[in-house]
Amino acid sequence: MQSNAALEYDYSVVKLFTYTTILFGFLGMLIGTLIASQLAFPELNYLLGEYGTFSRLRPVHTNIVIYGFTLSGIWATFYYVGQRTLKVSIAESKFLTIMSKVHFWLYFVGALIGVVSLLLGFSASKEYAEFEWPIDVVVVLIWVIWGVTMFGLIGIRREKTLYISLWYYIACFLGIAMLYLFNNMEVPTYLVAGVGSVWHSVSMYSGTNDALVQWWFGHNAVAFAFTVPIIAIIYYFLPKESGQAVYSYKLSLLSFWGLMFVYLWAGSHHLLYATVPDWMQTMGSIFSIVLILPSWGSAINMLLTMKGEWNQLTDNPLIKFMVLASTFYMLSTLEGPIQAIKSVNAIAHFTDWIPGHVHDGVLGWVAFTIMSALFHMAPRAFKREIYSKSLMETQFWLQTTAVVLYFTSMWIAGITQGMMWRAVDEYGNLMYSFIDTVAVLRPYYTIRALAGLMYLTGFIIFTYNMYMTITASKKLEEEPQFRSPMA
Amino acid sequence: MNSLIVKALAFSAVLIIATFVVMKQMNVNLDDPINQLTFLGAIVIAVLSFGVSAKYINQMKTDKAEGELAKENWDGIGEYKNELPPGWAYSFLATMIWGIWYFLVGYPLNAFSQVGQYNEEVKAYNEKFQEHHKNPNKEMGESIFLVQCAPCHGETGDGLSGKAQDFTSRFTKEQVLHVIKNGQNQLKYPMGAMPAGMAAGADAEAIATYVANGMKGEAPASFVACASCHGADGKGMNGMSPNLAEYDETVVVNTLKNGKKGNIGTMPSFNTMLTDVQMKSLSAYISTLKQ
Amino acid sequence: MFHWLEKNPFFFSVGVFVVIAFAGLIEILPNFAEASRPVLGLKPYTVLELAGKEVYKKDHCIACHSQLIRPFKSETDRYGMYSLSGEYAYDRPFLWGSKRTGPDLHRVGNYRTTDWHENHMWDPTSVVPQSIMPAYKHHFTNIADIDTAYAEAFTVKTVFSTPYDIEGGVKLGTLDEAKVAALAEAKVIAADMKNQNVKDAVTRGEIPEIVALIAYMHRLK
Ligand code: HEC
Ligand code: HEC
Ligand code: HEC
Ligand code: HEM
Ligand code: HEM
Ligand SMILES: [Ca+2]
Ligand SMILES: [Ca+2]
Ligand SMILES: [Cu+2]
Repeated sequence: MQSNAALEYDYSVVKLFTYTTILFGFLGMLIGTLIASQLAFPELNYLLGEYGTFSRLRPVHTNIVIYGFTLSGIWATFYYVGQRTLKVSIAESKFLTIMSKVHFWLYFVGALIGVVSLLLGFSASKEYAEFEWPIDVVVVLIWVIWGVTMFGLIGIRREKTLYISLWYYIACFLGIAMLYLFNNMEVPTYLVAGVGSVWHSVSMYSGTNDALVQWWFGHNAVAFAFTVPIIAIIYYFLPKESGQAVYSYKLSLLSFWGLMFVYLWAGSHHLLYATVPDWMQTMGSIFSIVLILPSWGSAINMLLTMKGEWNQLTDNPLIKFMVLASTFYMLSTLEGPIQAIKSVNAIAHFTDWIPGHVHDGVLGWVAFTIMSALFHMAPRAFKREIYSKSLMETQFWLQTTAVVLYFTSMWIAGITQGMMWRAVDEYGNLMYSFIDTVAVLRPYYTIRALAGLMYLTGFIIFTYNMYMTITASKKLEEEPQFRSPMA
Repeated sequence: MNSLIVKALAFSAVLIIATFVVMKQMNVNLDDPINQLTFLGAIVIAVLSFGVSAKYINQMKTDKAEGELAKENWDGIGEYKNELPPGWAYSFLATMIWGIWYFLVGYPLNAFSQVGQYNEEVKAYNEKFQEHHKNPNKEMGESIFLVQCAPCHGETGDGLSGKAQDFTSRFTKEQVLHVIKNGQNQLKYPMGAMPAGMAAGADAEAIATYVANGMKGEAPASFVACASCHGADGKGMNGMSPNLAEYDETVVVNTLKNGKKGNIGTMPSFNTMLTDVQMKSLSAYISTLKQ
Repeated sequence: MFHWLEKNPFFFSVGVFVVIAFAGLIEILPNFAEASRPVLGLKPYTVLELAGKEVYKKDHCIACHSQLIRPFKSETDRYGMYSLSGEYAYDRPFLWGSKRTGPDLHRVGNYRTTDWHENHMWDPTSVVPQSIMPAYKHHFTNIADIDTAYAEAFTVKTVFSTPYDIEGGVKLGTLDEAKVAALAEAKVIAADMKNQNVKDAVTRGEIPEIVALIAYMHRLK
């Protein structure tokens, strides 16, 4: 086992997760585009009978992009980055190799069943925790297996010091484990009553308590799925692709521990002006503001890493993706805290400004980072150069325009609608009926649907480019050290 | 300033101006402190996010990364031992100090109450609109109507082809027949209940046709059965019973207070949601809808 | 430098876990006992209402509708009295939602009626011409799952001591009793409806989803 030859890493699971990232990415964005279009053109609700309404498909969209696309991306990169920064091949342990395969297949089958269960309407109706209890059990199992492979790999590592990315993967693992478990405490009704649907369950918590647990989860699910592991990804792939050393260890360190400490306190910003105690809401607002800095810290560290590398930025579309991802990360982590100020939230909450904020993050930061990581890994895992640089450029501009259209339209729509709900006429009566405030949104919904279509087209170009890279592109003799070769 | 930052700020400006224009078009009130703060927040987000990131991206052009490398190296990735960027470090420190200060001192521990804030909002509202709330008028009625009633009665008050009362006329023939057949006791008129079966067969038909036509022309002989309570002119004997000829204040207010279930469907009660002045304004507005 | 912790994955992980875990305790626990106390007079959901709530969850109305009226004049004017914590004591899960593509529904039972819901769920644009809400025609043919609703009521009664079967409260009883009671409730609603299939189904003893959903909508006050 202990050979001195250069290590051959085992990318078989990386490849499998790469495929599901692309598959779920496509499906999730397709459905995203469909539901965006449904709000602009309601006739589109009736394409699939009762399974095709906006309301059935919305959780399908969120669950596919979170638990399908993002998680696959996280795991594809984890098995890649983990092996490489720990200097150990997973093939060195038979046990871990098997576990990683089990990890993938259980996940893939579980994800498919999960999606179908939501389409059929088995839903707990708690946001991002819609899966009913049988799926939860599978999720927990998958998570434990990931823990085994991760800590197993760490256990047999050669590089003693954990690289920054691994800090974040570990935090992702621990955070989600804790949050998911507590938020999904539910009692299956069939087991108690012996009649009715086997799928059904009731939440262990009720009312305001349930809300507290749910948004402690919901907010941090965002943190530990859309933020923490994505930072893990960019901390490896940006320095690696550019060949630049990470700008400041101290900044990495403080950002990491700051983020860990502050994030968990901010969850109550989802419950402002609700029936949770006032002091708790205030705490959520305060910690949200404090959270700006540890969030910006990572982004700034990445931007500073690229200091002096203007030519790489203009010349390498992969770098473009990652630099822009960092700036979108800055945008969403300033926008979020401002929306967490009570008075601003009085307007922002319940409006389209929130999905606007969400998609700055998920389209501009999460998806950009994951796609560039897949691009970077492809030449190493499949030993072929990237099929087309010009397609990458096209994709970049198309998707960047799409994100800008998405967030500007929802920004304007949300702020306007929030203010219209409050507006009173000269007699002090409400100025607008609810439907008036919906009618003004139609043009913005149309713009957003268009943005979705553009982003989706970009993703299809990405898929094609990846497919050609994997199957038809020029073979590589040697593994590239930094910059990914592209035709 | 260099071109990149200028471009970023220009983009922010365009976004902010666009937001402002749309807001203005919808006549929102910019004296409202909540609206002001939100708008200010939007400006801060746009200017800071785009401005600051442009500043850092610009450094890729002008600056050079250097420093002392740490001895670790992961898969070819090195790490500088550079100090924290001072702007970042001081801001972090400042927000932490602010947070502690705000929680312990600035925000008087647990003294804020959102329900208290609500009560103050209502008080301020009442003071501001006191004058307007003295006199019912049809303009006020119209705006309430569009918010509260239009989902059932339609924006023009036509009842959406038979889904609720059509205010362009008083009754349909079916409605009158329904009441004759079943009687009615929901609107709390001084006269109490109207008994069922006051007329039947051809008589009932004739009465219903007459009432549904707006009580024009000659009344059928059988209408006397009704006239004893509703008056020969059908106007309800000064509010003792409903006015069958036209909408008056009593019928609208009584309906709003009690709700009504009839042959079209059920109309909910608005007793807790509307004030007297608002109800009277509504009736003033409804009276303008007849053709 | 500070690489000590980063060389000890075990302590590193423990450190991370401690840092992230204790915020949860402070944020969630203090309120737990207090927030779940019901307001005076609050009754548990009837089986029919629960079946309707299940339809609401299944079709994910929460995607567009909130059930939380915030204490602002503009919201209390539009929807009625602001929401109180104790009103949600029997809500498992809570259904506050996070997006108002459509209006709040926490008190919709006060100002919408059976016939209106019937029209609206069949075709929203027939009552609100500019509506973007989808039509839910399948609620008129799908049959509500009373068994599961009963199982839910039975579970919360057994496990969480939700007060069913008390003096002057909601009666649950056995499954058969509950089915009879649900059908009786359904008949009252169906009587105000016009759709013949729905009326026929209820006469046959089956309860279409729309009837259960309307029962749930009326319960929201
Ligand atoms: C004994 C007195 C009495 C007689 C006789 C009577 N009504 Fe009425 N009518 C009432 C009262 C009282 C009400 C209001 C009931 C309520 O509170 O809902 C009423 C209500 C009505 C309504 C419904 C009005 C509304 O706005 O909902 C109609 C239509 C009506 N009457 C028509 C007739 C006709 C036609 C006749 C004759 C065939 C008739 N009434 C005879 C007392 C009478
Ligand atoms: C949920 C639907 C709904 C809403 C909201 C509603 N209505 Fe109605 N309303 C009805 C229906 C249905 C009827 C017809 C009842 C019948 O006679 O069958 C009706 C009847 C009426 C009548 C006639 C009563 C009579 O006896 O002649 C008046 C007046 C009225 N509504 C006023 C209003 C006003 C004012 C508002 C708003 C503040 C309002 N309604 C809101 C459904 C509604
Ligand atoms: C795509 C978004 C969307 C979905 C999904 C949706 N609604 Fe709506 N809903 C709306 C909009 C917009 C309105 C306001 C216009 C109207 O009344 O149709 C509305 C209005 C309503 C109203 C009237 C409330 C009022 O105050 O006027 C009720 C009740 C309602 N919806 C129930 C439901 C139920 C039950 C479901 C799920 C089975 C549902 N909605 C799903 C968008 C939606
Ligand atoms: C400093 C960091 C952040 C803070 C303080 C923050 C704050 C907020 C606030 C206040 C809301 C609105 C709650 C409401 O009124 O409904 C929100 C919603 C949301 N944010 Fe953020 N945000 C941050 C970063 C991010 C990032 C980076 C992402 C994703 C990449 C993200 C994803 C989301 C999502 C998905 C929601 C919607 C939650 C829901 O369904 O209601 N946030 N955030
Ligand atoms: C083609 C691209 C996409 C389009 C057009 C799109 C569209 C939408 C739409 C229309 C909604 C519902 C908003 C509403 O209810 O008003 C939504 C919600 C959401 N989407 Fe997407 N989406 C896309 C991609 C993604 C991706 C890639 C992710 C994550 C990686 C994502 C994560 C989410 C989340 C978390 C929500 C819930 C937001 C909330 O509850 O506030 N979306 N999306
Ligand atoms: Ca669950
Ligand atoms: Ca949401
Ligand atoms: Cu949050």
